[in-house]
Amino acid sequence: MKNNFVFHSVLFLTLILSQILVFNQLEIGLGIHIMIYPMFVLALPFDMRPATVMILGFLTGITIDWYTNSFGLHASSAVFLAYLRPKLFSFLEPREGYDTLKRPLLRDMGRNWFFTIYAIGLLLHHLWFFTFEIFKFSEIFFILQKALLSTFASLLMITMIQIIFFNKQKEL
Amino acid sequence: MFAVLQSIALAIHFSYQSYPRARFMSTAGDVSGKIMEIRHSVTKHFNLDKANLKLQEENIELRRQLPVSFIPLQSGMVKINDTLYRQQFEYLPATVLNSTYDKRNNFLTINTGAFQGVEEGMGVFNGEGAVGYIFKTSEHFSLVKTILSDNVNLDVFLSSGAFGLLKWDGKSSSEVYITGIANDIEVRVGDVVKTRGTGGIFPRGIVVGHVSEINTVEGDPLWEIHVKLAVDFRSISDAYVIKNLLKEEFDNLQISRE
Repeated sequence: MKNNFVFHSVLFLTLILSQILVFNQLEIGLGIHIMIYPMFVLALPFDMRPATVMILGFLTGITIDWYTNSFGLHASSAVFLAYLRPKLFSFLEPREGYDTLKRPLLRDMGRNWFFTIYAIGLLLHHLWFFTFEIFKFSEIFFILQKALLSTFASLLMITMIQIIFFNKQKEL
Repeated sequence: MFAVLQSIALAIHFSYQSYPRARFMSTAGDVSGKIMEIRHSVTKHFNLDKANLKLQEENIELRRQLPVSFIPLQSGMVKINDTLYRQQFEYLPATVLNSTYDKRNNFLTINTGAFQGVEEGMGVFNGEGAVGYIFKTSEHFSLVKTILSDNVNLDVFLSSGAFGLLKWDGKSSSEVYITGIANDIEVRVGDVVKTRGTGGIFPRGIVVGHVSEINTVEGDPLWEIHVKLAVDFRSISDAYVIKNLLKEEFDNLQISRE
């Protein structure tokens, strides 16, 4: 438990710092907005209570909002993702339930599980985010374009982060 | 739980436009401003060449207007310091610490705040053209809402004299639109777009950009005018805050009319 606490605190800080100092400055065009902080919400322990996940999601989002001048948008989408998380997880749950010693990461859960859960989770998160950011029905195709391209970019980044920093040899 | 947190987050999001109280979280805060300043102290070196060139260009433009650059065409002219002119606008220099151009609402964080005399609602421009207006201030930092935002509605006019409101559709960081110009007015590609200076925020005649494309609106007697922005928001490094010395007088007059 203590080990978990340290792991997730370090993850929280590094993800938030890299989001605000690096990824928020990367403006590629085509409406791509790379968001890596949802990984924090998705990577919280399997047995954590959904309400706790939502509170942590809210805190993550509001911190990002603070440094992005987006006023509650990230908080809202992070809470939405935290709300969806148990539903997503139950969707691919093994018959005997999740092993609580494992973490919801690429390293522990394997490729199929990781890509399915993260891609769906990120897509829904991004859709929520851009819907509320633009908030115009007439711009629905632009919202979809932004959400799809950004999901792809974010997933790519998160996958790279997980491959580089959380491999089997380096146990954090 | 979901409903509670979600309503807090969305309440913040939908109220920050109208209620300044909801703007407590932004990069113009004292702590967050400090962090942006530290970040800027590292990254500013990457753009120094470009920033210098731009300042140099602006200097050349200003130097061209100095008396030294003119030859007198008529001898015996004396410069008289009269009282016909009175200072209306003053400018505060500021460095841009943080900026975005790819979001739906784009903000700049600048290193000048209430302590230096910046107030909410003041206009901001730089050597290239109009940038935006002050959205929030803290002691030493301010948040600038740029032209690249929803509902900026900057009042602009074309060289032909027609005027309209500036809008941004959230797509390209170098293109905005003007709405409200009737299609019986002649508009040409290349016309310079300038601030109209009606709200007392900008002086009249600060460049915004030039007309790049003109389309007709289906079923409306209006032009849809595309404007190429003069300011390159991707490499913005310096800005000036406009202080209107007669703002109070102007506002009082507006109120008394109502």
